[in-house]
Amino acid sequence: MIVCVAVVGHQNNPLYIQSFTDADDALKLHHIVHCSLDVVDERVNNPKKSGPTLNETFLGLLYPTENYKVYGYLTNTKVKFILVTTDLDVRDADVRNFFRRFHAAYVDAVSNPFHVPGKKITSRTFADRVSTIVQSFGLSSAV
Amino acid sequence: MVDPANTPLGKMLLEEITPVVMVLCTPLVEESCLKNGLSFVQMLSPFCDFTNIDVPVRTAIDQPYRLHKFKFRLFYASDIWQPNLEVAKERLKQVITKAGEDDFPEISSDLPQVNDLLSRHESEILPTWFQFFNKELVRTLSFSDHEAFDHPVACLLVVSSRDEEPINRFLDLFNTNKLPSLLNDGAMDPKILKHYLLVHDNQDGASEKATKLLTKMRSTFGPNDCRLLCINSSQDGQTRHKDTPWATFRYDALATEHLGHFLKLDDLNEIKNLMQELSSKHIIPYMEQKIRLLNQQVSSTRKGFRNQFKNLWWRKGKEDALDTTNGPVYTCSSIESQIRVLGDYAFMLRDYELAVSSYRLISTDYKLDKAWKRYAGVQEMIGLTYFMLDQSRKEAEYCMEIAFNTYLKLGSPVQQNATRCGFWWIEMLKTRNQIKEAATVYFRICGEDLLHSAVMLEQASFCYLLSKPPMLHKYGFHLVLSGDHYKKCDQIKHAIRTYRNAVSVYRGTTWNLIKDRVHFHIGQWYASLGMYDVAVTHMLEILASSHQSKTSQELFLRDFLHIVQKTGKMFEVLKLQLPVINISTLKVIFEDHRTYASPAAASIKEGVWCSLEEDMIPSLSAKSNWLDVQSKRIPRKYKESNICVAGEAIIVDIEFKNPLQIPISILSVSLICELSANPEELNSEANSSNVEPQNDEYKTSTSTGDINSSLVLSEVDFSLEGGETILVQLTVTPRVEGILTIVGVKWKLSSSVVGLHNFESNSVNKRIAKGRKAKHSPSADLKFVVIKSLPRLQGFIPSLPEKTYAGELRYLVLELNNQSKFPVKNLKMKISNPRFLNAGNQSYLNVEFPACLEKKLNVEQSGGHGNAKKMLQNVFHFPEDISVQEETSLSWPLWFHAAVPGHVSLYITVYYELENVSSIMKFRTLRMHYNLQVLPSLDVSFELSPCPSRLEEFLLRMDVVNKTSSECFQIHQLSSVGQQWDFSLLQPVDSILPSQSLFAGQALSCFFMLKYHRKSSTSEDSNPLFLQSDVRFGPPGNSEALFDVCSSPLADFHGYERLYQGMSCQGNVDFVFITQLRRGNIDSGAPHRPLLFSHHVCHCR
Repeated sequence: MIVCVAVVGHQNNPLYIQSFTDADDALKLHHIVHCSLDVVDERVNNPKKSGPTLNETFLGLLYPTENYKVYGYLTNTKVKFILVTTDLDVRDADVRNFFRRFHAAYVDAVSNPFHVPGKKITSRTFADRVSTIVQSFGLSSAV
Repeated sequence: MVDPANTPLGKMLLEEITPVVMVLCTPLVEESCLKNGLSFVQMLSPFCDFTNIDVPVRTAIDQPYRLHKFKFRLFYASDIWQPNLEVAKERLKQVITKAGEDDFPEISSDLPQVNDLLSRHESEILPTWFQFFNKELVRTLSFSDHEAFDHPVACLLVVSSRDEEPINRFLDLFNTNKLPSLLNDGAMDPKILKHYLLVHDNQDGASEKATKLLTKMRSTFGPNDCRLLCINSSQDGQTRHKDTPWATFRYDALATEHLGHFLKLDDLNEIKNLMQELSSKHIIPYMEQKIRLLNQQVSSTRKGFRNQFKNLWWRKGKEDALDTTNGPVYTCSSIESQIRVLGDYAFMLRDYELAVSSYRLISTDYKLDKAWKRYAGVQEMIGLTYFMLDQSRKEAEYCMEIAFNTYLKLGSPVQQNATRCGFWWIEMLKTRNQIKEAATVYFRICGEDLLHSAVMLEQASFCYLLSKPPMLHKYGFHLVLSGDHYKKCDQIKHAIRTYRNAVSVYRGTTWNLIKDRVHFHIGQWYASLGMYDVAVTHMLEILASSHQSKTSQELFLRDFLHIVQKTGKMFEVLKLQLPVINISTLKVIFEDHRTYASPAAASIKEGVWCSLEEDMIPSLSAKSNWLDVQSKRIPRKYKESNICVAGEAIIVDIEFKNPLQIPISILSVSLICELSANPEELNSEANSSNVEPQNDEYKTSTSTGDINSSLVLSEVDFSLEGGETILVQLTVTPRVEGILTIVGVKWKLSSSVVGLHNFESNSVNKRIAKGRKAKHSPSADLKFVVIKSLPRLQGFIPSLPEKTYAGELRYLVLELNNQSKFPVKNLKMKISNPRFLNAGNQSYLNVEFPACLEKKLNVEQSGGHGNAKKMLQNVFHFPEDISVQEETSLSWPLWFHAAVPGHVSLYITVYYELENVSSIMKFRTLRMHYNLQVLPSLDVSFELSPCPSRLEEFLLRMDVVNKTSSECFQIHQLSSVGQQWDFSLLQPVDSILPSQSLFAGQALSCFFMLKYHRKSSTSEDSNPLFLQSDVRFGPPGNSEALFDVCSSPLADFHGYERLYQGMSCQGNVDFVFITQLRRGNIDSGAPHRPLLFSHHVCHCR
């Protein structure tokens, strides 16, 4: 189950953080997302020289914490998407697929002329769309 | 690569993994030493570290080398026990607590800055107590039975010369019952090197007796193993040691300089010699010899193919037999133990090659025996030995990892061992600049013990900070984790310290959820320590956190107020964010020569008034501003700053917003003002008595009731619902002359929190400033020169309707009041929209309306002349003899006509001159502003068509539509104004509209015959516009008077209508259609008096 998704701006400022848990662990998830930024930076600054990973937006598993797996994705505008999940066996393809759809939703949200770049995304449509994507995570592979 | 021995790990190993010398001494020896404030071991310990010796050693295979540095450790026999886990923990806790006290940041110190941290050297950032703590932690693991380097190599037996029968005492000392368990339970060889020392206290007398004893000892124990040590040579105890060698042994640093005050330099030298001899002549050779011996044994039993094979076979065989958790028990005589001793001795004598080969040899044995603890210990040593050899780094780390994991697997009994192993591993990684990996190891050695984990996490956080590039997010995260752990162990001071460091990461970011938590906890913790002031500063950071949930906001606010209450004092907080002040809404309204009748008037753009007053204010034709013309003597200061008048309020409008979701109540909102004496007046009339004394400066708080004070400030209380915004009007009234500065605004959040907000003058949106005043400094914006009290007119129009129907004609009265003692004169008035409002003649005051408009039979037409002229000039001059006297009022008639439907703004300016009251201000203006809404009433239109039969006759059709929704108009009369026209109804009114009432929505058309009628030459002289002919609607015999459309108000308004409806030209005809509305309930006017409506239609042709 996805417990948290986040959009983080290129100055590491949070643009959108949404947790999908019932428990009151927003602070914890904020910490996890915040922490994972170091790993993103590291990945970005020391890319593996091998061919296919070059210019790859999907950053893969950032780090496994005790209970969570954190995945990252970097857009060409240096905006980071972070996914925190409790699933222990996640298929890479699922995550890629998730990020692709998430990216599309994000692009639509920031294309809104009323959105101020660099400010938090407050669009309700975006939030709805994200929760739909989150709910359908992993289902596509099952079908 | 630096020499491994010079790295931090190398140094640590050379310090910690050194031979142990067991000390057994009599109480009298201790007594002598304690005179110096030191125990015997403490006294000797500083001299056990040799950095400048030269001892030749041979390896097991006769390779000579030299030892230049050597160290051994001294322990009392009673201390050679592995400390109890609980005791060890307690000891570590004390270390941590103490460090917390020492390292606690000063209240005044600023929060650390990340950039500042990064620019500093590692050693400056890392808390110094880490190293100390780590050392302590390693020491709690000493004297384990699975390692040999802590097993005593030698034994130092010490007897005082005062002791009875010293020789026997020596024998008694090495009493096996009192020896450490290590020696007794067979874990180590009890046959160790013994050295006999006789201590003589020089204070007890000369040393002859001692020397005799020494000879006796030599004959008993052998000549080489006995020594005499004389101490306490100083009789007076005044010896001071500059660099006390014992300083490092006393952590409290208390009275270190008194340590050893009976020890003269000779004594110290003697001790030094003793220790050096002990090490180079006894310990090292003994170890060397032992290594040789062991090596031979090992070679004969284990080296070579045959032995190995045999060993393997033998181990296989006993595999099932022993299966305890710690594997088999090895006694000192077992070959395994001997190999381990060989390795450790070799390590201590820096024969690392031999050490590593021994360790490797034994590690497989332990593995096969499933003696995991020993296995881990050996792996650990292999790793360290590789490190010291500076070779096969990968292998070294791999060994450390194996050791670490093996220890971890064994669980809590060897948790501490895992920790120590982790430390060494971390140090190894740090040496190799793999700081990030070191951090993960720190993270892994966090056990179940919270306090222990807290320290480890904090150390891990520093690793992230120091890694290149720094990983600040993780730094912050680990600090927060560590702080939480500290908090759980009641190490509040440590918790605060770590959180304070964490602030540096989160400050300036928008990770508000985290940031708020950090500040909140710091605040809470400071409060729990009773440091409320600091607590408050942290709580302030989160007070206005609008993004938090309602419960969090409530919690934050409650805790904040609670803490503030505990401080027991008033808190003045600059830029308190609760509520938020919207500085862009700040509006200052003040009155200099321009005064306003209502706040609405003050909010009108200055330009509107300027253009209105243009030709009324004296000599404004020049491009200078009003001040220049008023007086050349006015000092520059007055020109550059705003002027206000004593006794008149300055109004400041400002918006407050509650950023929270919970309601807050704000008390005593008032301005902060300073009123200082005018500096120029101070210079010119320094002795004058009316100069304010200096102490009236900074008169910030003045209650409203205090009449005697020089400033009167208004106070406002209000409460704000969640997210609510409120516009508050505050006033300040200076009572004396001087310079008034509005500094800011203050309010009370609770009984003890005062919020302050200073206005930055450049952000002030000052509405009243004149455009020409461009050059003045921004600081002058909120600075006012207060001048002497002046008369100020107040004016209002009592019954001006807010809502009316088009066409209504009303009689109004303008009331002007003068509250001051001084009269004003030369009144002038200008009205922006004469089509709607007109000044009447004084004679109309107190007349009956609308009766006064009725046509009188003997009316003289000349009145029209005067009116026509008056219309041309815009300014209405009051008669010159009129002046508004002290505390009197002046009423003046006004005529109002709602000319067209729509929203109308009326601007009225009254100019008046002051009589020699002030040199600075000679006149003032009163500005009045009214907004009214005019609703459509009747739509009147005319159509004129030439009569086909007659040349000079026209057929006139009038269409009237009642556009109101409910009103019923009584049609009254139609009058034509203009040239000589006669007109009459074509059919009687009764037939068209019997009731003469035009109901809502009703339309009426009626026809007239219009006849042109050439006038005589005599009538040419009179104004053609004001000749009229009327048709009265109504039942025949109606005695109601017709209204005179050619006299004052109607004629004036008609003239304006002509102007507005198009240029006047001859040959046209104008009509005035007059109706009445009997129901007077549009406004709250008198119900019985009908409202009069006149509709003017001009130029109908």
